[in-house]
Amino acid sequence: MQKKDKWPWLSAAILGILVLLPFMLPRFYTYIIALIFVTALLAMSLNLTVGYGGMYQFHHGVFYGVGAYTVALILTKTSWPKWVAFLAGPLAAAVVGFLIGWFCVRLTRLYFGMLQISLGSLVWAIVFRWYSFTGGDDGIHGIPMPSFISSLKSSYYFILAVVTVCIYLLYRIVNSPFGRTLQAIRDNPDRCEAVGVNVRRHQLVAIVIATFFAGVAGVLFVVLEGSVFPDLLFWVLSLEIFIMCLLGGWFTFVGPIIGAAIIVSLRTFVGIYTEYWTLILGVILILLIFFLPEGVMGFVLERFAQGRGELGKRRG
Amino acid sequence: MEWASLCTQLLVGLSRSMILFIVSAGMSFILGVLRVPNVAHGSLYMIGAFSAFSIYTYFGMGSTGFWLALLLAPVVVAVVGFVAERLLFCHLYQREHLMLLLFTFALMLILGDLVKMVWGPKYSSIMPPGGLKGSISILGSAFPRYNLFLLIIGPLVAVFLWLFTNRTKVGKICRAAAVDREMVGALGINVSWVFAAAFVLGCYLAGVAGALVAPTVSITLGMDHDIIIEAFLIVTIGGLGNIWGALVGSLIFGVTQALGVLFWPQFAIVFPYAAVVIVLLMRPKGLLKSVW
Amino acid sequence: MLKVEGVEKSFGDFKAVRGANLTVERGDIVAVIGPNGAGKTTLFNLITGQLKPERGRILFKGEDITGLPPYEICKKGIARSFQIVNIFHRLTVFENVQVAVLAHQGKSSQLFRPARKLAVEKTEELLQSVGLLDKAYEVAGTLSHGDQKVLEIAIALGNDPELLILDEPTAGMSPEETASTIELIKHLAETRNLTILFCEHDMEIVFSIAKSIMVMHQGQTLLQASPEEVRRDPRVQEAYLGGEVC
Repeated sequence: MQKKDKWPWLSAAILGILVLLPFMLPRFYTYIIALIFVTALLAMSLNLTVGYGGMYQFHHGVFYGVGAYTVALILTKTSWPKWVAFLAGPLAAAVVGFLIGWFCVRLTRLYFGMLQISLGSLVWAIVFRWYSFTGGDDGIHGIPMPSFISSLKSSYYFILAVVTVCIYLLYRIVNSPFGRTLQAIRDNPDRCEAVGVNVRRHQLVAIVIATFFAGVAGVLFVVLEGSVFPDLLFWVLSLEIFIMCLLGGWFTFVGPIIGAAIIVSLRTFVGIYTEYWTLILGVILILLIFFLPEGVMGFVLERFAQGRGELGKRRG
Repeated sequence: MEWASLCTQLLVGLSRSMILFIVSAGMSFILGVLRVPNVAHGSLYMIGAFSAFSIYTYFGMGSTGFWLALLLAPVVVAVVGFVAERLLFCHLYQREHLMLLLFTFALMLILGDLVKMVWGPKYSSIMPPGGLKGSISILGSAFPRYNLFLLIIGPLVAVFLWLFTNRTKVGKICRAAAVDREMVGALGINVSWVFAAAFVLGCYLAGVAGALVAPTVSITLGMDHDIIIEAFLIVTIGGLGNIWGALVGSLIFGVTQALGVLFWPQFAIVFPYAAVVIVLLMRPKGLLKSVW
Repeated sequence: MLKVEGVEKSFGDFKAVRGANLTVERGDIVAVIGPNGAGKTTLFNLITGQLKPERGRILFKGEDITGLPPYEICKKGIARSFQIVNIFHRLTVFENVQVAVLAHQGKSSQLFRPARKLAVEKTEELLQSVGLLDKAYEVAGTLSHGDQKVLEIAIALGNDPELLILDEPTAGMSPEETASTIELIKHLAETRNLTILFCEHDMEIVFSIAKSIMVMHQGQTLLQASPEEVRRDPRVQEAYLGGEVC
């Protein structure tokens, strides 16, 4: 009960600090923190399927990329109202998520993951090669933004606002009957089917929701960077998001945020000192696998629970 | 469109299939026995190509250099695989499946940067040896001799693999472990060493493919990223863990790619992916029977 | 209430079930017995949809349910527990049962209502009736084996079933746990108007609570009759009682 009461206050305090940050930090750091928001949302959307749904969502980056490319293409190639582009990004991601998910949920585990890699790679290959439409491996740069989010500071606040709303929605979803049933499916799909849950449909809905939020993250990436490139849909990025979930703690709600923050800041600051960033990422990953399989948050929560347990014993 | 160009293009596609087959057969073998899609397989292939280059350069860039490279580079890769397996990987066999997969990803990240450290980001290349240089004429159009060589090597590797899995004790145990590992454990065989053997053989094959491909491409960083996804897809459409499935998958992949180049060069890369998707929509578990 | 007619199922060359017949009347407690490998679990899996029969029909309340997916069959009013412990390990005991109750109430797909406020009474009532209420907030994976098996039954009850199928409900339990579980099953059957179909290795249990017994041998139904008749039947003695178990 105590814990429940604390969370809103804690969140409000963090939010307050984040609102003030652009006034206190140099431009570069503001940019990095905004990038962490975007990446955190992406990782959280993935975690809905991986951590809560137990699905091998191996190619989540595709939906991020589809969201980003949709908004980029509409903004550069059409004269449609800008809000259409911003709405179309997540919707396009969700539609692609539905199509790919439709086939994937028929399979389980590794087959699910491999099929998703195949279908996702097809999308990547098309984007990568369709020079006349997507700009091929050059990507699209200098995407015009609506004036109210054209400066870094304003885009920071826009991203912060959208990510906050999305995280709140995800929180509601995870703690809803839908989310609880999803976790039950993760633990034991056969049993879940035997208590009357249409497992495949449930998984598909989870994928569509997750891909929708990945699309939102894609749109926010465009808001921040003003450009898109095919690497957004490449499988390396997809696995990197996977690592974020694992690093932060994939059985916890805030884990992916922490994972994203660690990876993005490490990449940025380690990248200043050495060109061997991926080597370091690889070593971190190995350390993680061997010593922190439940991730940072999982570790902290476990410690916390132990501490409370001992406290309780002492009192008793 | 002439028949001649169609034929040579098909042959080019088939020779590409041979490389793909050797890579994906190794991956499939590891997948079958250890149940892990080895993400680091592309990096091992890249190490094979770079080691081949170094050995080739060390022995004077001639025919001797080439043959020695072909012989020794796979051994280098196998040693790398063996060290990684015994040092770290073997401690994870009792763990969750996903952890094994992530380990191979970590291995890929590390090996990729190690290659960058050792060989640097430059482009290198190897010349094929004397007898395999130049082209021969097939139906009036030129076809590189080296690709013909690949067309011979590919089936030889297939035969070797068949002999290994059907005629040697280790191979038979590996095959049995792929189907039922508890059974193999119950027979008093050290499963950990079976896994090690399978992993090292898979790595060796990746090295063979890397050394073989070296004269046909420019050897450079990033060659791991492309091959790994192709190998993944081939293994998936072939049926996870089935080496003959890998052969069928490679043929489909190589030939559709070659035909793509002929008919719609800009989207050549899309053709094999589309073929894979079509196969998977019809047979989600692959064309041949998966071993598990 | 449940009628199984000439159901067959094979795995490859092996005919696991070849011609099983079974009748369960409302309010009955029916046991399926037979030596290991007689096809009891396979038969249950066929009834509840985990497997699809190749031949034969399964009727529930006069309706043909042959080959329906498990979640559809569950909605018709058949719930089951499994032979090996089959629970949601990372969820709490409360959540384990709540998932089933939510599914039964058709609330599984609600996206934004907080789950902790839903179906609480019903879930707690169920936990109370199986005696797990004091462990409601423990993680299910950490319970003792006996408690996990009882939790299984509670999950199955979450669907308000008319027919409850129990696959070896006391497997792996200590004698005390077994005794209390049997009492629990009897009690549940009386208070909740349940019809129960179960299989069990322990003959003492079977003959003490079953009103009707179906004997399976090598995938076939040998007979279905009252416990006394089954005890007397020479075929049963030869195939089963005279064989390995007694």
